[in-house]
Amino acid sequence: MIDGTSAFLEGVVRTATPLAFAALGETVTERSGIINIGLEGSIIAGALGAVVGAGYGGVWAGFAFAAVCGCAVAAIFALFAVTLRADQIISGTAVTLLALGGTGTLYRVLYGSAGAALNTPTLDPASIPLLSRIPVVGRALFVQPSITYVLYVLVPVVMWWTYRTHAGLGLRAIGENPAAATAAGIRAKKVQFLAVLFGGLLGGISGGTLVLAQAGTFVEGMSAGRGFIAIAIVVLGRWNPLGAALAALVFGAASALQFFFQATGSNLPYQLFLAFPYVLTLVALAATHGRTNSPAALGRQDFEQS
Amino acid sequence: MTRLNTRSCQRVPRLSTVIHSLFAIAIVSCGGAREQAKPASNAFKVALVTTGSVSDQGWNAGAYQGLLAIRDSLGARISNVQTQTPAEIDENFRQYGAQGYNLVFGHGFEYQDPAIRVAPSFPRTVFVTTSGVKTAPNVGGVYFTFSDGAYLAGIVAGAASHSGVVGAIGGTQLPPVVAAFKAFEAGAKSVNPNVKLLTAYVGNWDDASAAREQALAQIARGADVIFQDADAAGLGVFQAARQSRTVRIIGSNSDQNGVAPEVTLGSVVIDLPRAMMIIARDVKSGAFKGHVYRLGENDGVVRWVVNPRLAPEISPTTVARLDSARKLIDAKTLKVPE
Repeated sequence: MIDGTSAFLEGVVRTATPLAFAALGETVTERSGIINIGLEGSIIAGALGAVVGAGYGGVWAGFAFAAVCGCAVAAIFALFAVTLRADQIISGTAVTLLALGGTGTLYRVLYGSAGAALNTPTLDPASIPLLSRIPVVGRALFVQPSITYVLYVLVPVVMWWTYRTHAGLGLRAIGENPAAATAAGIRAKKVQFLAVLFGGLLGGISGGTLVLAQAGTFVEGMSAGRGFIAIAIVVLGRWNPLGAALAALVFGAASALQFFFQATGSNLPYQLFLAFPYVLTLVALAATHGRTNSPAALGRQDFEQS
Repeated sequence: MTRLNTRSCQRVPRLSTVIHSLFAIAIVSCGGAREQAKPASNAFKVALVTTGSVSDQGWNAGAYQGLLAIRDSLGARISNVQTQTPAEIDENFRQYGAQGYNLVFGHGFEYQDPAIRVAPSFPRTVFVTTSGVKTAPNVGGVYFTFSDGAYLAGIVAGAASHSGVVGAIGGTQLPPVVAAFKAFEAGAKSVNPNVKLLTAYVGNWDDASAAREQALAQIARGADVIFQDADAAGLGVFQAARQSRTVRIIGSNSDQNGVAPEVTLGSVVIDLPRAMMIIARDVKSGAFKGHVYRLGENDGVVRWVVNPRLAPEISPTTVARLDSARKLIDAKTLKVPE
């Protein structure tokens, strides 16, 4: 029996990992002024892609194909929302519905009604020497599947890219003041298209994490709203990559607390615990209201004319 | 900028068409009925409506097998549709009623109220809800005495647990699930009165990752045998056990012994094809009366199926206990809590 606190904290990090990947990608997308509601679609496509890819070439092929599938779904969204300047909310919703239904149909075509069972290879937790021996948080942070360590590296890299590079400045400029950015010679559509693709790529990896580091199989609808929670996490993280990662941890904690409470055999209604992460979303959004600095052109589709 | 303006003006109507067709594709692929084409106008037509995917290797997969069995044995024309939200149930039922289906299975407790609402409009269609208890002239229910099987599973779990803590993980807190967990607890306590049951609900039937976390949380609290009743999400429970190796799982609804044979003690099986065939025969022959079919251990519809690979882990004493409990249940001397 593992000690209670450590088991809880490990659960926090595990639950937060897929959310953090998705939220990190969406942060970059939203920085370019595009809000991609179709993120849920990229996650579920990534989950299916992970099973297919891993079936051919093992876990890392699974992640690679998950990223490709997440990207492909995001490309559909980008085609409508960026290239054709369609309404972002409607395009995103359509893409989510398309991906949720499409993955279910494809899954049955590929694996029949018997499903893929639990034959998908998965990542076992890998322990990092020394760091994993840090008291309290050591095991939680450094005895995780290796995809979690990829995230640890990715967060500062994206942070540095967004705030310290010329390309990152261009991205933020488009999201803040597209007219000025365009006048300065930045090709808005190209940058936005790439930002959406990057969001889809990480969304795909998020879905891949659900399968290859956690469930070990694909289940129709297994993304279970994580794409939408990730969008809330972006707001809570104030459109900052590091903020998104930390906000994902807060959500992971809320979910893990729910698992923990149910497992203690408490007699309180379980719906109360299940609602906890969502209540937290509302509280967090209300608390940060007015102090949030969203990209000024977020969600706008008319800006080339402005 | 002028060039851009004209272009986007021309594009608006075309674009909205594209988006609408995207929606249409999405809706068709989400909830579209997949009919098996067998053109015979007055053929016996049977439909199955499920809440979840028929690839869950459990509750819904079993019903789909039943539907296929009805097609093969009774020559029926069949159709299956998956309900996306509870609000769609009435509409699913109406569609099948309007198409003149003879028998529509609503696969789950949640279908019984819609069946009662819709049935009067389609007197020639019989609606049967599995786990339902409400009836009308053309509405029947099937009550599986799943609790009998869950009680037997409890005996196995109580004997197999070294820690004295067992777990139960469900999808949502539906009455049949709650009843099964109560029976499971009673079975476990009949072997070891001090056994403690931890109960958790995932909140849905699809989130395998969350179900795995629920299982890991129970394992961290000492649970070493877990009874899963969470459909597709339940696959995550098996996955959790596979990684901790010493933990044992009991599957439910379908024979899940093959899902993770190295950790599964056995499954409480509802032989859905058998149950559905009993009802379909009645409807076809005109013997159907609006009533609740009570099917269980006696009819061979609910069974405890041991996993042959882990059978050596179940002691002869436990096997003897199971046999005597089975006899007492059949003789109705043992009242399993429901």
